Amino acid sequence: MRWYQRFFRRGLTEKKLDAELRFHLEQQIADYIATGMKPEEAGRRVRLEFGGLDHMKEECRDVGSARFVETLFQDMRYGFRQLGRSPGFTVVAILTLALGIGANTVIFSAVNGVLLRPLPYPNSNRLAQVWSTNPHTNRWGDWVSYPDFFDWRAQNKVFEDLVAYRTWLTNITGGDHPDALFVVLASSSLFSVLQSQPLLGRSFLPDEDKPGHNRVVVLSDAIWRSRFGSDPHLVGTAVAIDGESYTVIGIMPPRFRFPLDLPEGFVPSAWLPLGLDPSQSDRGSHNYRVVGRLRPGFTLSQAQADMEAIARNLAQAYAADQSLGIKLAGLEENVTSEVRPALLVLLGAVGLVLLIACANVGNLLLSRAVARQREVALRLAIGANRSRIVKQMLTESVLLALIGGGVGLLLAFQGLSFLIKLAPSVPRLHESTVDGRVLIFCSLLSAATGILFGLVPTFQASRIHLGEALKQSGPSRRLGSGPRLRRMVAVAETALALMLLIGAGLLIRSFVRLSNVELGFNPQNVLTAMIMLPESRYSAPNRQAAFFKEAIRRIEALPGVESVAAADSVPLVTNDTGSVSVEGHPEPTFGGVWIQAERPKITPGYFRVMGIPLLRGRTFTWADNETSLRVAIVSEAAARLYWPNEDPIGKRVSVDEGDESEGRIVWRQVIGVVGDVRQDGLADKVRPSVYTPLSQLPVPFAALIVKSRMDPRSLADPVRRQVMVVDKDQPLFSIQTMQEVVADSVSNRAFQTVLLSLFAAVAMTLATIGIYGVMSHSTAQRTREIGVRMALGAQKHDTLRLVVGQGMFLALLGVSIGVIGALVLTRFMSSLLYGVKPTDPMTFIGVSLVLAAVSLVASYVPARRATKVDPMVALRHE
Amino acid sequence: MGQEKSEFLKGTLDMLILKVVALGPIHGYAIAQRIQQISRDFFLLQQGSLYPALHRLEDRGWLKAEWKTTETGREAKFYGLTPKGRKQLEAEVENWGKLTDAVALILRAAD
Repeated sequence: MRWYQRFFRRGLTEKKLDAELRFHLEQQIADYIATGMKPEEAGRRVRLEFGGLDHMKEECRDVGSARFVETLFQDMRYGFRQLGRSPGFTVVAILTLALGIGANTVIFSAVNGVLLRPLPYPNSNRLAQVWSTNPHTNRWGDWVSYPDFFDWRAQNKVFEDLVAYRTWLTNITGGDHPDALFVVLASSSLFSVLQSQPLLGRSFLPDEDKPGHNRVVVLSDAIWRSRFGSDPHLVGTAVAIDGESYTVIGIMPPRFRFPLDLPEGFVPSAWLPLGLDPSQSDRGSHNYRVVGRLRPGFTLSQAQADMEAIARNLAQAYAADQSLGIKLAGLEENVTSEVRPALLVLLGAVGLVLLIACANVGNLLLSRAVARQREVALRLAIGANRSRIVKQMLTESVLLALIGGGVGLLLAFQGLSFLIKLAPSVPRLHESTVDGRVLIFCSLLSAATGILFGLVPTFQASRIHLGEALKQSGPSRRLGSGPRLRRMVAVAETALALMLLIGAGLLIRSFVRLSNVELGFNPQNVLTAMIMLPESRYSAPNRQAAFFKEAIRRIEALPGVESVAAADSVPLVTNDTGSVSVEGHPEPTFGGVWIQAERPKITPGYFRVMGIPLLRGRTFTWADNETSLRVAIVSEAAARLYWPNEDPIGKRVSVDEGDESEGRIVWRQVIGVVGDVRQDGLADKVRPSVYTPLSQLPVPFAALIVKSRMDPRSLADPVRRQVMVVDKDQPLFSIQTMQEVVADSVSNRAFQTVLLSLFAAVAMTLATIGIYGVMSHSTAQRTREIGVRMALGAQKHDTLRLVVGQGMFLALLGVSIGVIGALVLTRFMSSLLYGVKPTDPMTFIGVSLVLAAVSLVASYVPARRATKVDPMVALRHE
Repeated sequence: MGQEKSEFLKGTLDMLILKVVALGPIHGYAIAQRIQQISRDFFLLQQGSLYPALHRLEDRGWLKAEWKTTETGREAKFYGLTPKGRKQLEAEVENWGKLTDAVALILRAAD
């Protein structure tokens, strides 16, 4: 019979085997009788000669590959029964494994969703971003100017097409209320480069990218639903954007997102063609980002070389491009490069936690293996082969691990949604789910875990000597229990736990350091909102200034409002970074480095609202307006940088106002010095700031900042209403409290720190349980020895010292190994740290002491129990 | 029977079984008898190894089996050689030849 026949017709196979052997026996008996032997003698002789019938049948059955699957099912049934027989152990083991495997599944889901999953565009691995590079600005990659982009597009041979894009804040009016509209302006081939087409209607035509022909718009699914009620006839109608009429030509599918790496809360609602004339654009203004699809057959490095050649040509042809270079990066990596190190560190950490959990379960199994030695010996004696027993015990471990993994998977669903809530600004995280790849990972991990922690006790149990084991009447002899093995496992657990604790400790210290950084302003009770005045109605600068002045006046009159200001550069919210000229200092560099400054245009109440201290001179008033002397206020850092050892008051500075095209620099007189603020975030360096009055240099885009006497969120609606009184078509965008903004800026760090600390805490608990378990077991084994010692005169404290000493030896060994491991591994974390070295001695020492202390307690408890032993009982103990 | 009971090498046993079966369909008992007979009682088969070997060879596809009636009217499992089995037999005989030649060479050289 072929193997599959044998498998499915087991009963029949058995009968046939029986019949075949019986036939042989009968023939042999018949032959012996024919030679004159008596029937009973013949029968006996034949049976003797034939040997163990059952053994032979077993061997026959073992032949063939079907056997493996048969025995697997058998082993699984047996495994279930065994697990059911010791429910306490089983439950503990399953819970431990569920936690370990579940945590790993959650983190892997995040890694999968953020790093492994391809981007939501077809063939996204062919997409690349192209950046300008400028050695002076000290940034990894700079944005691109439109004329440069235009030339790159025309001259390159490696891209199917290149697309330039930027984001823009505007509004959509009409209907019963205006909405702020966050949009993406892009080249007309955007959707073909992304290979993503609208669900309804069409995408841009190449002609629509020209000035004057670009009044078309593609809407997102979200705004189509929320503002237009999913109107199926919307395509082809006109909407009012920025006061102009645009025709809706398409609606994107629900899942479409571009670009992917925008900050939290900025979701594009529409895509519009750029409609720019390259000859009218400034080659020195770097406002665009560029993405392109590589031609088939070209690698990224080939493309890089090609583009570099183009960049060199441009640098020679145009002064504005003189020191500019070019850099390409795959879109996939670019989007996730910031969070990759953190995610990988977390994946490593949670893997360590699982190892520790395995060690604990392995130790548990070791205890059980000791108890089952007699069972194993018996099976060996009746003829089972060792490999079969090993297979059965491994099956049991894997079964346990798979059950634990199953429970862990259920926990992981919850865990993942919790994680997503905890980490708001990790790109692509909210779309992470427990998908097919994660399920496969979970199953494989469970199986591997089962084999890992099952190997050791299995081999321990199967290595016993038949004679010895069968002689024992009681279960507790040390034979084959491997106390040394258990101790080694406990040491390993401690080492791993220490490494995790050190990692968590470093992150916590970083976070504390970061939180103590001086912001330079007071975020309490401050509300911010952004306003973008559309060009169609606010093209004249004095109208822009008048709007803000009026809005501020009205909001200040609201109850509960202390003061109001507007500024186009607010820390952590929005910025205007650029170059600054200092009178008498013609070079643009300071100390050899090209430094860019913040150039906020502010209304008079700004410093008061933000709580920025005035150090010298005076602040702006409404008297500093378009008719009066041009003035400026500098920050401390600016004063130190531009006029070292001099009084900046009275000096003159220019913020490059754009009148330079006529060759005229507008110099402003410095009238005051204020404190520094951290513009980009707590972890970044302070940049010098030069403030100008908004009425002297109006802008259409600014943030409104409102200082309130109570919860600033309660002012959101009143503020919005007042703004609508000034201009009924003016919506507010991104209304947040300053404290939310500050918290968001560190939310990623907070998330990493919380998670790693959680893992470290779990690891420490498991390792402590591990040490406790080993010490308990060891003391139980040595009851006799302790009894003898006590009978010979040892005092309680001697016993204590003995046991605790042993425990501490293990713990210290573990700590030492852990310290060495941590010294090696923490360097991979250095990008996550702030103000703390990866080998920070305080953290290392502190954490080691904590773990040692905890281990002391873990050893002390069994030690105390040991001292309560009555020597007489102990001596009689087996 | 005062013969020397030699230990069979598993591979050798396989080869002998294949050879015996090559002569025509035959059941297990007859195979044991035949091997004993032909080798003039040199090989007294360890009964325990025959049937596992037969089942193994069948599982590998070198033997095929059929339940037939014997001359005495009993039902027995008859084994026959498959084409694959025939090829395997040829290969093993060739190897055995090479092995014995090599051993003979060494023995002669040592003289």
